[in-house]
Amino acid sequence: MAEPHNERNASSSVDSDLGNTTWDSGKQNAGSSSSGFDCNICLELAQDPVVTLCGHLFCWPCLYRWLRGHSTCHECPVCKALVEEDKLVPLYGRGNANSSDPRKKPPPTAYSDIPHRPPGQRPPPASPSSGQNHFNQHHAQSSGFNFMGPQGTGAPMAAARFGNFTFSAGFGLFPSLFGFQVHGFPDGNGFGPGYPFGFPMGFHGAARSYAPPAAVSDQQEAKLSRLLMFLGFIVFLYILFL
Amino acid sequence: MSSSSPKGLSRIAANRLHKELKEWQMNPPAGFKHKVSDNLQRWIVEVNGAPNTLYENETYYLQVDFPENYPMEAPQVIFTHNPPLHPHIYSNGHICLDILYDSWSPAMTVSSICISILSMLSSSTEKARPVDNDRYVRNCRNGKSPKETRWWFHDDKV
Ligand SMILES: [Zn+2]
Ligand SMILES: [Zn+2]
Repeated sequence: MAEPHNERNASSSVDSDLGNTTWDSGKQNAGSSSSGFDCNICLELAQDPVVTLCGHLFCWPCLYRWLRGHSTCHECPVCKALVEEDKLVPLYGRGNANSSDPRKKPPPTAYSDIPHRPPGQRPPPASPSSGQNHFNQHHAQSSGFNFMGPQGTGAPMAAARFGNFTFSAGFGLFPSLFGFQVHGFPDGNGFGPGYPFGFPMGFHGAARSYAPPAAVSDQQEAKLSRLLMFLGFIVFLYILFL
Repeated sequence: MSSSSPKGLSRIAANRLHKELKEWQMNPPAGFKHKVSDNLQRWIVEVNGAPNTLYENETYYLQVDFPENYPMEAPQVIFTHNPPLHPHIYSNGHICLDILYDSWSPAMTVSSICISILSMLSSSTEKARPVDNDRYVRNCRNGKSPKETRWWFHDDKV
């Protein structure tokens, strides 16, 4: 298991003899090239990076310690803006050991006192047709498990549009991740035009508590789901054999 | 290796100080020299008064002591030997500067502290001790750290 902290520990055991000027120059170069992404507290390349609304980058453990233990009024260490933990944006890079399947992700070890970094706020998938969309926040932000989180960014997303029918699919770890948008649906059943289905059906239950107030009955929902599944499947075949 | 790192510093603090020292060596703040020593937890920094200020051609020494959980907590920064005559610097070397106490932030560094101190010196218009110097210094006689003082900060621009 590739622990992100191991590398750090290794590099931190730099000879602390201050008179010694033979600092590891390789590390220095690496440091200067990444300096735009260094944590503003530990000055190292940010790990479990989070960014505040004021745009300042930190390691989550570093910022957590400051906010919970030492700051007087939850101010940003760089610019003193108010920092609210639930408004932090986690950054999920590519190819990082951290971005493996979040279900298997161990707690951020070495910092057993630090909880998980806050999950990202995932807006609904963009609607290509409507300029302003009025979707409710409807993503599966279930307990500590961020569905489109780290590994979602690693899966290539494909989107195709046929007439007034938009279809998008994510391939990768979750082959069942389909996104559908059907336009021109009757409004009467509570689905506005362009209502997004950004979830795999298997996870739909988890998201139900976040459904908009105008949610339809389960029966209707299931029927619609099956219909959309079927439509999606046809389009999928269409793409596949075209 | 790890045995040479000072006992009083956490691993995080030692890492960060290594990093700061490295950056200082590559890009030292103008007017300052870090005096090389084996002690990562106490830095002695030579300060040279900026040209065209009251402290031109004068040399002072700052002693910077880092707490175990630096940078979450501010270092203790005092002038040693003969502290400069300045309305915010007491004769025992203590400095009345908000960033060293209430306004500390872990994004600050020794380098940024030094720059603030030099700018405080440079903007001074008179060489004088703080008005409450004698009373304050008497209160600190038993070796009290300036970090234990409840400071209130003057809002003037000196
Ligand atoms: Zn950090
Ligand atoms: Zn900020």
